[in-house]
Amino acid sequence: SIVTSAASETDAEQLPKEQHARSVLRESFLRCLLSMTNKKVRFHLHERVKVEATFGASDIDVLNFQVSDLHTPIGVQKEALIRCQDVISFTFEA
Amino acid sequence: MQCDWPLLGPLKWIRYVNKQVKVKAGKDEERCGWLLTVDPVSASLVLVNFKEEGGASVQVVMGHAVEEVEVLREADDETTERLQTSFLPSKTRRLDP
Repeated sequence: SIVTSAASETDAEQLPKEQHARSVLRESFLRCLLSMTNKKVRFHLHERVKVEATFGASDIDVLNFQVSDLHTPIGVQKEALIRCQDVISFTFEA
Repeated sequence: MQCDWPLLGPLKWIRYVNKQVKVKAGKDEERCGWLLTVDPVSASLVLVNFKEEGGASVQVVMGHAVEEVEVLREADDETTERLQTSFLPSKTRRLDP
């Protein structure tokens, strides 16, 4: 994935602050993912393709999403993995 | 702000939290919303739009697709509170003794 630490090369005092910020942001993101379980999610893919599915889970690196009942243009896929690289955004109702 | 969003790092991402932002991602696509958080692993943004009838619409924009993030305004106390308690489990939401 991406940067491990932007602060490491500049200032050792920055590191605890950066790690704190990282943990606050990540916790909030994980709670958001958790609340998405079993919800209908609409994925916006490249070339304006939109597909709907029921959200299951994400892997820790956010590389794949596991979904059920993926509505594709050629039919409904009971279970599927969506590559996050193919996704621009996704929406759901909370 | 024109930027290489995934490379900013947590200290810069956290400055965008609780702000209303406009995000450009994909081809000529723009999204607006209150920024709840940025995933430090994938740099994905979580945008929340509250509805008048209650509830909220949540958009997650993947970090790799982000082209531009622009801050529109800051949240007032009420919006901040509403935003940050949106996904807390109901047990910890009530902290009254």
